[in-house]
Amino acid sequence: MKNIYQTKLAKIIDIKKEAEDIKLFTFKFVNKKDQTRLDFTPGQYFILSVLGFGEAPFAYSSSPEEKDYFQVCIQEKGTLTSGLFKLKKGDKVGIRGPYGNGWPKEIFSKRNLLLVGGGLGLFPLRPLIRSVVLAPQKFKKVQIFYGSRCPELLLFKKEYKLWQRYTDLCLTCDRRSRGWKGRVGVITTLFDKVKLVEDPVVLVCGPPIMYKFVIQKLKELKFKDKDVYLSLERRMYCGVGTCQHCVVGGKYVCKDGPVFSYKEIKEMPQAI
Amino acid sequence: MKPQQLKKLLVYLSKDYTIFGPEKVGDRLLIREIKDAKKFKLVNKKPFYSHKEFLIPSSQTLFNYDKNKLLKPRIKRKQVLIGIPVYDLKAFTLLHEVFEKDVYFQEIIRNIILIGHSPVPEETTFYEDYEEHILEHLRFDIFLEFKPKGEFRVFTGSEDGQRILEKVGIKDYEHVEYAGAVPEEGLAITEKIKQKLVKSSKNTKIWKELNKRCIVCGKCVISCPTCFCFNIDDEPAFEKNQGSRIRDWGVCFYEEFSEVAGGEKFLKTIGDRIYNWYDHKFVRIPNEYTLPGCVGCGRCIEVCPANIDLRKTFRDLKKLLKSKKL
Ligand SMILES: Cc1cc2nc3c(=O)[nH]c(=O)nc-3n(C[C@H](O)[C@H](O)[C@H](O)COP(=O)(O)OP(=O)(O)OC[C@H]3O[C@@H](n4cnc5c(N)ncnc54)[C@H](O)[C@@H]3O)c2cc1C
Ligand code: SF4
Ligand code: SF4
Ligand code: FES
Repeated sequence: MKNIYQTKLAKIIDIKKEAEDIKLFTFKFVNKKDQTRLDFTPGQYFILSVLGFGEAPFAYSSSPEEKDYFQVCIQEKGTLTSGLFKLKKGDKVGIRGPYGNGWPKEIFSKRNLLLVGGGLGLFPLRPLIRSVVLAPQKFKKVQIFYGSRCPELLLFKKEYKLWQRYTDLCLTCDRRSRGWKGRVGVITTLFDKVKLVEDPVVLVCGPPIMYKFVIQKLKELKFKDKDVYLSLERRMYCGVGTCQHCVVGGKYVCKDGPVFSYKEIKEMPQAI
Repeated sequence: MKPQQLKKLLVYLSKDYTIFGPEKVGDRLLIREIKDAKKFKLVNKKPFYSHKEFLIPSSQTLFNYDKNKLLKPRIKRKQVLIGIPVYDLKAFTLLHEVFEKDVYFQEIIRNIILIGHSPVPEETTFYEDYEEHILEHLRFDIFLEFKPKGEFRVFTGSEDGQRILEKVGIKDYEHVEYAGAVPEEGLAITEKIKQKLVKSSKNTKIWKELNKRCIVCGKCVISCPTCFCFNIDDEPAFEKNQGSRIRDWGVCFYEEFSEVAGGEKFLKTIGDRIYNWYDHKFVRIPNEYTLPGCVGCGRCIEVCPANIDLRKTFRDLKKLLKSKKL
């Protein structure tokens, strides 16, 4: 019988600092077969463990097309993440997964996409963006709305040029600040300033507070509930619907989510 | 079966197994190791706690680690659990379904002999009446039905059970073939009603009222034979790079149950968390397993210092329904 808690060893092959407390880790499974067999959908997550510090869920941040490694972008927050931040290139961590459903991949090739990311919410959207860059033939038009508090907190800056070739990337910062020549205002203001791609499916990830405003805006614009998807964050331990920590409105974010359509979310009290 | 034969059975089992059964400690009936099988007397009463701890230990080592190696401990203890009233068997049958793919649970259960018995209703219990036909949906090895004069009618529910009785020379047993946890007719209508009541009551004052009374001690959860939430954490040892990954019982009444890094909590009030407990037992478990999440043992009622009684909650819910406020 397979032990669902058994992790697979992965080696840190690169660490890049993205912001003061945010690092992009690149991992490769120690066992070659584990690496070649790795397959996931953007928006899915895995559970990472650093021995002595425990386990926690993180979204894949690289795309499934990148076969030789996988990446995850992590903010230092508490016990496990600070343990991870002490590690160096060559050190090893434990991985189990993939878990969850991921973004609705059946519509990727059929509909235009509007990705709406706020702050760290860009993490689980990045695999999708990288898929668009690496396999544009699999997608229709893709537009990205990405907002952060200030320019310093805009993540993955070095990749924007590349992203712009394949997507309509629209950035905004909450506040005016020196050196920032782009748009100013919270993320919802982009809906008024930018011409939207035609009839898109909207994929949203960001802090809970952002969901309320984005949903309000999308409603004003008469988007259908079933065309809007959100990724939720909850406390997680098992990843398979047993431990009960991630429950919301009768569903388990770990296995029924983390991505839900707004149509589903409306039926789930206190989801957002 | 005569009382003498039960002694013989236990003496036989004590050669290969450690036996755990109810024993009077002060004024409580607690599960203890039965060191002298000859002296054990099976009383027709509910143990204060169930045998849950033996199936899902309150603290279980998933792995011992050494540098980057995870070593799963082997679970080889051979145990006999005796003194399990039929509703607790029902709870354990549910745990069987919930932990179907869990190697730890499966390893433990493989080495355990379950000896159940028929219960006499007590003041706080509210399970459906014991009838012989429910046995085919319960997981057990041996089942004892209390008869007058200390005698038992004996059933076996597994090959292990049969083999053991044959070895001891007990021949007057009936074998019950396990027919799966879920009866053909599915969830009982009484459970469906409870499910509906809880589901439609989310925004009623009932939970606000319980919110005021519950003191979040967690006793109900600890004493409930079906509660199975857990946390997983690492406990480093003194030696560098060594330690264990431990799975502990979780308590969904505690504030941090739903807390994520950064401090946000999703089950904010005590009322939210009590509702979540009812939702799990009476809505989600029936949905996921077609089994009731509460077996009616009454323990949560007995241990609650705030006198919260789920029978009363359901009476109140029914009243609300009648007055069309649901
Ligand atoms: C589906 C999903 C995807 C995520 N993706 C990312 C990502 O790509 N990058 C990133 O930086 N963060 C991500 N997070 C958040 C990340 O899991 C937390 O930041 C992390 O658990 C913090 O752990 P800690 O031990 O450092 O924090 P602490 O506050 O010290 O500990 C939190 C404790 O709660 C437990 N826990 C379980 N689930 C969570 C949770 N969701 N949030 C917080 N604590 C949790 C941890 O195991 C730990 O024991 C994601 C969360 C979810 C649910
Ligand atoms: S909820 Fe209460 S009555 Fe029901 S099984 Fe648990 S402890 Fe027993
Ligand atoms: S036993 Fe009673 S007071 Fe304690 S947590 Fe349970 S309901 Fe609340
Ligand atoms: S993480 Fe355990 S139930 Fe979702």
